[in-house]
Amino acid sequence: MNSLFDAKHTWLHSINPSLKLVTILSLFIVAINIHFLDLMVGFLCVILLLFIFATGYSYKQLFILSLPFVLIFLSTSSSMILFGKGETILYKWAYIQVSEESLIRGIHLGFRALSFAMLGLLFALTTKPVKLFYSLMQQFRLSPKFAYSFMAAIRLIPIMVEEYQMIINAQRVRGVEQKNNFLKRMKRLAIPLLSQSIRRAYRIAVSMEAKRFQSDKKRTYYYKVGFSRNDLFFISYFLLMLGLIYILSIHDPFLPSTDVRYLPE
Amino acid sequence: MQRGLKLTDILITIVISIAFGILYKIWGPLYYAVKPFGLHIDQLIYGMWFMAATVAFLIIRKPGVALLAEIAASSGEFLMGSEFGLEVLLYGIIQGLFAELILFAFRYKRVDLFVISLAALSSCAGSLIMDFYKGYIGDLSTWNLTLFIVFRVISSILFTGVFAVSIVKALEATGVTNLVRASSKKDHEALDQ
Repeated sequence: MNSLFDAKHTWLHSINPSLKLVTILSLFIVAINIHFLDLMVGFLCVILLLFIFATGYSYKQLFILSLPFVLIFLSTSSSMILFGKGETILYKWAYIQVSEESLIRGIHLGFRALSFAMLGLLFALTTKPVKLFYSLMQQFRLSPKFAYSFMAAIRLIPIMVEEYQMIINAQRVRGVEQKNNFLKRMKRLAIPLLSQSIRRAYRIAVSMEAKRFQSDKKRTYYYKVGFSRNDLFFISYFLLMLGLIYILSIHDPFLPSTDVRYLPE
Repeated sequence: MQRGLKLTDILITIVISIAFGILYKIWGPLYYAVKPFGLHIDQLIYGMWFMAATVAFLIIRKPGVALLAEIAASSGEFLMGSEFGLEVLLYGIIQGLFAELILFAFRYKRVDLFVISLAALSSCAGSLIMDFYKGYIGDLSTWNLTLFIVFRVISSILFTGVFAVSIVKALEATGVTNLVRASSKKDHEALDQ
């Protein structure tokens, strides 16, 4: 799935996928509990460092991947900046009211969304889905029927996309009105796509069941996924760096260090 | 009879989620195009993100399907490397869980519009809770927050409730749902004759 671009194999690629997933989900939880702008900026930098230097992708590729970041920043911060609560008014026009508090809060939200975007990409760019599911089976005892279903489904995606194109073309050939209301068009595409996909999935599933893919009994795995020294390094990187920015923000605050949430006096 | 989900149920649920993933490609750009204006017009189509859960449940009608459908839909986006992947994954899990709770409360027996709309509203509530934590929406000025919530509730009922039910009705007409649903008493009676 990550054949988007070719990348060098870095230490991030060799981290145990389950451990990587758990780490990234924990970082998400950490990030939604950060309410200070300076900590948020620090958190973003910690991830940015890995994103730029450790994924094994060229700067050009990373740049292309980062283009939507502008849109992400704007779309998550704009509502809060324009319509957020706050006392120190900077600008007011009709319903729009930009205050110092809402501005800082909006920027905070923008940075938070960026850090999630980079964390997500960090994972997707350096993890093969197949390895993830093998790892989940071996480390988390995920039932094989789930893991193999997911892996089979990943293989079905290109076939389904092709089918979707075919449905659109077929409808065009038959002169089905294109400019129609949105829901009607949606339904006309959804029914054939869903019914064909369900039929195909059913056929595949029946043959997979016949081959005992769903058996939960002790089984062997083609890919054995274990742990390495890199895993330790990965976790300690985040622990050390996050500790560092926390200490820095206490001793040497470089940005307005107030709670961005609206707290009425 | 084997209890729980069979591999067939699981694979079909995941495939339904992928089909929605593909269909989202039509309105995804529309969603992100209207999002930055701050007036929450995007919320009017927000309900479509939970649709996979109710459609999959209506087709397969087994416990756990709604949650699995949401996880499949969101993990797809995550694994494919989307900028919104990580957020979507967490939202998906919460929304699926909330929909599942309502279906569980009715013992997975009711498949009418009322219960499906309740499940839609529950998913909507789950996503709002996430937004309170992650997006500080509680700090929006009151009129703006009201607009936000009202738009999202409307779209949840419209898409995840009404539209999902109508799609599955049409699918039932094609006969494809007979493949996956457990054989009913009526089927057994038909065999006895």
